[in-house]
Amino acid sequence: MPSIDSKDIRKIIVACDAGMGSSVMLASQLKKQLRDTGVTVAHTPVNDIPADADVVLCHAGLAARARAAAPGKVLVPFQIFLGDPAVTELVATIRNGGTVDA
Amino acid sequence: MRDGLLDPRAVLLHESASGREEAIRRCGRALVDVGAVAEPYIEAMLERERSISTYAGEGFAIPHGTAAAKEVVLRDAICVVRFPGGVDWDGERVTVCVGIAAAGDGHVPLLAALADVLLDPDRARALREATEVNQVIKELT
Repeated sequence: MPSIDSKDIRKIIVACDAGMGSSVMLASQLKKQLRDTGVTVAHTPVNDIPADADVVLCHAGLAARARAAAPGKVLVPFQIFLGDPAVTELVATIRNGGTVDA
Repeated sequence: MRDGLLDPRAVLLHESASGREEAIRRCGRALVDVGAVAEPYIEAMLERERSISTYAGEGFAIPHGTAAAKEVVLRDAICVVRFPGGVDWDGERVTVCVGIAAAGDGHVPLLAALADVLLDPDRARALREATEVNQVIKELT
């Protein structure tokens, strides 16, 4: 299972099917929450996850597709677009240090 | 509003729908009517919804098309369609649909504003209960 130390996280990708709706809202919130950390956040369709992504966030229903499209990446699935505990935990780990795996 | 992203004619505050499919069709129609998408986009919105619900919390859903349907998006646009009677959304109750048509990133600032609203229960309630088009546009832009 891939894992990454929080200090090595430079780029987070929020992926969804079209990269049009939910991923945009989540990415905007994450950007705000991580503004002062130097971590960049972008949203893309699940089939266009860039090679330099360190962590990929996507809806649990798309996790299998994301895993296939970006093998070996640390993948954090979530259930709800705003306020999901998995996302809150990721932000806390980036801020406080620790390991992210999935 | 920049580039007509949220056309006042696409803000419909007194609609009703028997269910999720009818509500999404109403949103799709609003996007067709303002010239943002071609007709097939509506089916793509239904297809997208069947894969994962676009329920976004606080009584809001954000129906939109699939990646493939970007081909029939003529310009980035948003519609706001309010169903005061509520719509059953796979077990959630939706009062407001923010329908999205986007081939680019023109709609990103508006969705960021929507996320801020949804994370603030008082602002979310104000938007759910808005009865004036100007009120809706002001809240999201």
